[in-house]
Amino acid sequence: MDLVKRKFYWWNKWIGYALLILVIVATPIFTILFKLFASPGDSWSHITNNLLAGYFQNTLLLLLGVAALTFLLGVSTAWLVSNYEFPGRKYFEWLLILPLGFPGYIMAYTYVGILDYTGPIQTFFRNTLEITFKGSLIDIMNLPGAIFILSITLFPYVFLISRSSFLQQSKTMQEASFLLGAGRSKTFFKIALPMTRPAIVAGIALASMEVLNDYGTVKYFGVNTFTTGIFRAWFSMGDATTAIYLAAILMVFVFLLLYLESVQRGNRRYSNVNGLSKPTARIKVSSGKQYVYTAICSIIFLVSFLFPFLQLVSWVWLTYAKVMDAQFLLLIYRSFGLAAIAGLAVVLLSVVLLYALRLSPFKWVKSVTKVATLGYAIPGAVIAVGVMIPLLAFDKWIYDTLLTARTAGLFLSGTLFALLFAYIVRFMAVGYNPVEAGFQKIGIHVNEASRLLGARSTKTLRKIDLPLIKNTLLSGVLLVFVDVLKELPLTLILRPFNYQTLATKAFDMATNEMIAESANAALIIILTGIIPIIFLNRMIRKRDL
Amino acid sequence: MQILTLKEINKKYDQAKDFAVNKVSFSVNEGEILALVGESGSGKTTLLRLIAGLEHPDQGTIALGGQVIVEGKKSVPAHERKVGMVFQDYALFPHLTILENVLYGISKPKKEAEVIAKETLKLVGLTEDHGKYPHQLSGGQQQRVALARAIAPNPRILLMDEPFSNLDALLKDQVREEIRQIIKMTGITAIFVTHDTKDALSTADRIAILHKGYLQQIDVPKNLYENPVNPYVANFFGKRNELIANPSEDGFYTSFGYIADPEAKKYKSKVRLMFRPEHAEVVQREGQQLTGNIVKVAYFGSHQLVKISDEQGYSVSIRTNPGRVFDNLGNAFFYLWKYDIEEAF
Repeated sequence: MDLVKRKFYWWNKWIGYALLILVIVATPIFTILFKLFASPGDSWSHITNNLLAGYFQNTLLLLLGVAALTFLLGVSTAWLVSNYEFPGRKYFEWLLILPLGFPGYIMAYTYVGILDYTGPIQTFFRNTLEITFKGSLIDIMNLPGAIFILSITLFPYVFLISRSSFLQQSKTMQEASFLLGAGRSKTFFKIALPMTRPAIVAGIALASMEVLNDYGTVKYFGVNTFTTGIFRAWFSMGDATTAIYLAAILMVFVFLLLYLESVQRGNRRYSNVNGLSKPTARIKVSSGKQYVYTAICSIIFLVSFLFPFLQLVSWVWLTYAKVMDAQFLLLIYRSFGLAAIAGLAVVLLSVVLLYALRLSPFKWVKSVTKVATLGYAIPGAVIAVGVMIPLLAFDKWIYDTLLTARTAGLFLSGTLFALLFAYIVRFMAVGYNPVEAGFQKIGIHVNEASRLLGARSTKTLRKIDLPLIKNTLLSGVLLVFVDVLKELPLTLILRPFNYQTLATKAFDMATNEMIAESANAALIIILTGIIPIIFLNRMIRKRDL
Repeated sequence: MQILTLKEINKKYDQAKDFAVNKVSFSVNEGEILALVGESGSGKTTLLRLIAGLEHPDQGTIALGGQVIVEGKKSVPAHERKVGMVFQDYALFPHLTILENVLYGISKPKKEAEVIAKETLKLVGLTEDHGKYPHQLSGGQQQRVALARAIAPNPRILLMDEPFSNLDALLKDQVREEIRQIIKMTGITAIFVTHDTKDALSTADRIAILHKGYLQQIDVPKNLYENPVNPYVANFFGKRNELIANPSEDGFYTSFGYIADPEAKKYKSKVRLMFRPEHAEVVQREGQQLTGNIVKVAYFGSHQLVKISDEQGYSVSIRTNPGRVFDNLGNAFFYLWKYDIEEAF
């Protein structure tokens, strides 16, 4: 009497889709890893003899310098705004996040412009004070300059995470320290700072990841790092294998960094587990000190955001009439379109992956699907190379098997498809994490209830799960959108011939001595980037309060 | 007639050391209300999820309505099982109205479905507010909606996970009775999970007791209470007193005195006499009784617990009616009218 058809309990079509997505998304990453064991290309000996030591040295110095400076800027400001009451404190909480909207390369050439002979500072000295400098005011087009530029754009990572951690620390913990006779500074160094350490390191790790990803800043400043090395091998020397080899080494760097971060975190959980902690009450200090604190935050904000932002605005004012033509509008339209498609694709794929995970009876599926998000840790240039190899191989296969030489061309490599694919690999995590959080928030029971009421998994997804996480899906699309819009290194390598996005246009103009003109594209990128930052800040505030 | 049969069900979770469900077999009769009772971690919720098709067992078969729905690596997916379930957190769809929630599972033409949905809502006592959203209702109302949603598609069996745990004590007694009535009225077969013996005793036709994944006993409430198969089941329904006793030819010697019992000759060494507080009686006269000192009388409204201690200070509790007055603590006599003999150690 077996009327109802039984199926294998562990199988559903979502598992199939998810496996397919995983294989495709992970291919570029694993391609690079495998190439590490292949022999390097022809110019490898040239690179090891003449360049590799320099790449290593510069990359390491850049990492250390940015780590130190972001620590200083991020932790000090986070401590001030979360512990003291001073004029403007409430505004600095979000003003100090805004620099995140500035891509490093834009910050770089904006500062070069500010400090230039024709820039506002020298003009002021020359015209008002009648003092003339020779050449640039301060030469920042070097390694310390790159450290400065990257630090002022990346310190908000450290600021955000350590502020959130400071806010979570209980008031009673600090009061206990005071009662035991410790002063404010001792309490900071012995209690608050060690407790925040995992958070601070996590923030610095994020910043370091961005440093390894950066191409625009170091290229513009002429600092040779692994990323510029990859470009050089790929474009100047035409040696793909060497580029891959460099990319592989850089990826090892990244995994080492991730490993160190997870080791330092260990099993430690410094957050309060009892849930009874009250947020730390802000301390009122003398008005003299208050002004000092306001001044510190103001200076950091001015340097890291307002000055360069105003500079961009003034350049736009001077040049918009010349730059804003039909072609530029088309450029905006195409950039936005590309970013939106990438955002939608990432969120769609994330939903499929996470829905398979949601329905799966096995715990290990979770760690497998996480592989899809690895791309966010890997520098754009590395991913570009990793995407290029399999696509070129695919094109070659098509060419060999199906077509004559006459119709041969590029099918996937060198097309928008390649670019889109790379964006998906690189920014999967950006969409995946909000979707995962969304699913977690609504819980599994609504899904199970729907299926027990006779709805198939697809109907359940459409009628129950997706409507419930609508907002998270939107924010996922938005976050990916912004990241794609400002992405540079990956786009430079993979864009189709003569294809421009706002980011590449801004970078090309800036490197071609058209800094003022490039500000138009730059300003659009920054203004778009600020939207999700404000979202993000709201989310963190809600969680804390 | 049996509607659900589980045979030798084993289930172990990925990272767990022990089996969540261990060689469990039982059947449920049509129209019956069965309670699955156990402490947290006893496997009772897992069992419910296995029946629903939300988990798959490592071994064993499940048959529902004469069809094998689980065997080996294959099973009928949850959405084809026609099993209704009320979740502990109700799992109402927050973006759908009450009516839409109940309509969701009814696969009939729209008009017909609406009639069924409204009738079911009426059955659970919700005659209005069908257009409201779940968060606008009280907890008790939400539970009724969840029940209505589960029974509206006319499932072959209804599963309820801790249906009474979110209700406060005053409401609980009333809801227990109402839910029992609704289930009986529809004639549906139901299984519910609870950790509260009172829920089980008052609502279920039969009770299955689980401990560490093993089924201990399945029987009607009275038999479980009066004739538990092992100490675990016995203790589960309330505290028992324990008397260490030395067996002789025709009775037991205890620290409170001698109890005549021909059973005693079956035992060679020390035994434990286990008895519930209500299975003993405090009496006035001296005679064939046990004796000790009353050290405390605790008043509980519906009854009193009299604590009687032996010369070494070891004490037992005996239940009496609340009206009895014990003027002076001190010497007292009592006898046991029912006890279990368990081997000591």
